[in-house]
Amino acid sequence: MIEFINVEKTYGNQVKALQEINLTIEQGEFVAIIGLSGAGKSTLLRCINRMHDITGGQLIVDDVEVSSLKGREIREFRKRIGMIFQSFNLVTRTTVLKNVLVSLVPELPFWRRLTGIFSKEDKIKALSALDQVGILDKAYIRVSQLSGGQQQRVALARTLAQNPDIILADEPIASLDPVTSKQVMDDFKRINEEMNISVIINIHHVEVALEYADRIIGIRDGKVVFDGKSEEVTDEILDNIYKGQMEKKTMIEDKEE
Amino acid sequence: MYDKIFPPKKIALPNGKVVIEKRSPTPLILLLLLIGVYFSVQLTGFSLPVLFERWDQFFVIILDMIPPRWDYTSHIWQPLLDTIKMSLLGSVLGSLTAIPIAYLASNNIVKNRVIVGIARVFLSILRTMPTLVMALIATFIFGLGTLAGTVAIFLFTIAYVGKFLYEQIENVNMDAFEAMESLGMTRVQAFRYAIFPQVLPNYLSTSLFCFEGNVRYASILGYVGAGGIGLLLNEGLGWRDYSSVGMILFMLIITVFLIERVSEHFRKRLI
Amino acid sequence: MDTIEKQLKVAPKNRRYIIVVTTILLFLFVWSLTALSFENMQESGWSIAASILTGIINPDLELLLSFTSQGVPYLLVETIAIAFLGTIIGAIMAVPLAFLSASNIVPAPVAWLTRLFLIMVRTVPSLVYGLMLIRVTGPGPFAGILTIALVSIGMLSKLFVDAIEDLDIGVLESMTSIGCTTFEKIRYGIIPQLFSMFLSIVIYRFDMNLREASILGLVGAGGIGAPLIFAMNAYRWNEVGSILIGLVILILIVEIYSNKIRGKLVRG
Repeated sequence: MIEFINVEKTYGNQVKALQEINLTIEQGEFVAIIGLSGAGKSTLLRCINRMHDITGGQLIVDDVEVSSLKGREIREFRKRIGMIFQSFNLVTRTTVLKNVLVSLVPELPFWRRLTGIFSKEDKIKALSALDQVGILDKAYIRVSQLSGGQQQRVALARTLAQNPDIILADEPIASLDPVTSKQVMDDFKRINEEMNISVIINIHHVEVALEYADRIIGIRDGKVVFDGKSEEVTDEILDNIYKGQMEKKTMIEDKEE
Repeated sequence: MYDKIFPPKKIALPNGKVVIEKRSPTPLILLLLLIGVYFSVQLTGFSLPVLFERWDQFFVIILDMIPPRWDYTSHIWQPLLDTIKMSLLGSVLGSLTAIPIAYLASNNIVKNRVIVGIARVFLSILRTMPTLVMALIATFIFGLGTLAGTVAIFLFTIAYVGKFLYEQIENVNMDAFEAMESLGMTRVQAFRYAIFPQVLPNYLSTSLFCFEGNVRYASILGYVGAGGIGLLLNEGLGWRDYSSVGMILFMLIITVFLIERVSEHFRKRLI
Repeated sequence: MDTIEKQLKVAPKNRRYIIVVTTILLFLFVWSLTALSFENMQESGWSIAASILTGIINPDLELLLSFTSQGVPYLLVETIAIAFLGTIIGAIMAVPLAFLSASNIVPAPVAWLTRLFLIMVRTVPSLVYGLMLIRVTGPGPFAGILTIALVSIGMLSKLFVDAIEDLDIGVLESMTSIGCTTFEKIRYGIIPQLFSMFLSIVIYRFDMNLREASILGLVGAGGIGAPLIFAMNAYRWNEVGSILIGLVILILIVEIYSNKIRGKLVRG
């Protein structure tokens, strides 16, 4: 369970990226966060695994107060939260399997971490993760030879091999075409349903968000302006999320990134 | 072959699927490299103890070069300019001569395989000959002096620019060439108007790059009597007159640096 | 219309530029012609050229195929050994220098100073290093190895830097999210990206070093260069022929293989 209590995030020069965020996300939910680019979606996501520090309020993940963690504890904490990125963030020069194995690295004894020689059990774990996203046959191929959709699946397999409770996805389909987007989203849905992993996804394709997510959170100017079931989303609500204060959009965008 | 000596490993997943993992060649390559290092060390008498004991000698020589002998400058100008002239002349003539040879070596333009083959073998052999060896041979034929050096640089430039140029020509878009041939142009004319403009910027850039390198090569050609600043370097080092050597190197570094800057400026404009 | 007008305006400017550059080039070309003097050229030149050619066509087969320490095969192996060890040492020294001159890793002044240092190292001719290093190790292949190492550093670091500045940083972000330490990020995020690039660069340099090593014998730093120059000075052209044939074949073979391996490394 993820709980935001009055969470606030201010960047150095008094720019408020997030304010008055109050949310509760139960284990196993499929949540889509929508909003204009620069509204604070990415920041919200990255606060959950402490890629960003919050500056006010409380953020509690499975009874752990995230901002109280230090050094080693942060790394331990992150192992349970997978993250998927828009640009896949894979080492394209090595094989698919080696990329997946990276997520097992923090658990290994030192000599294995140094030499990069993995045990058979670890390889089986990684291969099973690849099987779950349907690209087992690509295990020994270099990532650079795969299509964008296949690369995103490798990233997904890398996250699955970590055996996470929560998956955070930051614009996972933004660099994919509609057909491969659908395949990747189907993967997310299946993982969410079969393995009871919470999926929290930042997305700017509203139709896709409505189709796949159980719950939609709309963000505008760093504030939650909508939180409810996908079926409840109407055109007025979307107008409010996206057009509410159009003129402010560019300003915030400049400040956030 | 490799798979037969080291059969691939099978990995069975819990759900019954089997993945075949080829053995990584890395350990074998590492082993071969280590053996190579071991025998090379044996063969060459490489010895770390000697290196640790006497490495400072190298810096003794370098410290002797500082400060350089400033009044030696007047002796340096002439050979330094000779070096630049040699490389300029060799590079210009070499890159021009490279054009017809590259033409003959391009298999998309010349259909006669024998001619293509001969042109390529010629370029390969020229390229493999170390410049200094070519300069040495040239001194036997053309006598001591800058002429021999220029010939050596000329030949090296043909080989370097020639190889690059025919690879470029073969990767060029042939549509325009065919169109012009169908207009009734000869192959050479069609080459001139359809292909040459496409490869020209890269050709000029390569020639400039080759010239940069040639200045550096030309500076040692004097060692075998082929003119330029190498002769002075050789004398200075032979007589252990390190402060003069320091001065020569100082001027050489500045010259090469300036030439590189200018050439880089033009190369960036070209591409 | 707009673009056509623009083109009209651009054209004359460009032409003037080309004319100026061409004039300067022509001037430099004529100036450099003054370096040529044909006075040292003697009639005997052509007969020597002819005997060199006959020597290459009729090489000293005994020398070419003998496996004693005077034979061509032994000398070639020694040359390979010099280039091999020299390249390895040069590569090891080039790695830290490359990181020190990568502007995305160290502060600008440090990068700038390292680059200046590398330019200086690169410009000093290899024979000068050879002569200096002979004072350290005594004549022989050992001096050759160190020379090759020094001359390789400049180019290797320059090419390494290009690879470093092309690093994909996104991987590191995802590794942070997995919970990796800095050491793990370097080992699994950075090294795999750089390794095959670096290896390909090193093999390319080995190819060049083979040529470089074959001339170091001229200053007494081992390899096949010394027997070559002795044979030449003694006008034993068929010996020269067999040495040159051995050298050309070796370099061609190494080049073909190194191109193949590098293609595989970069493209996978």
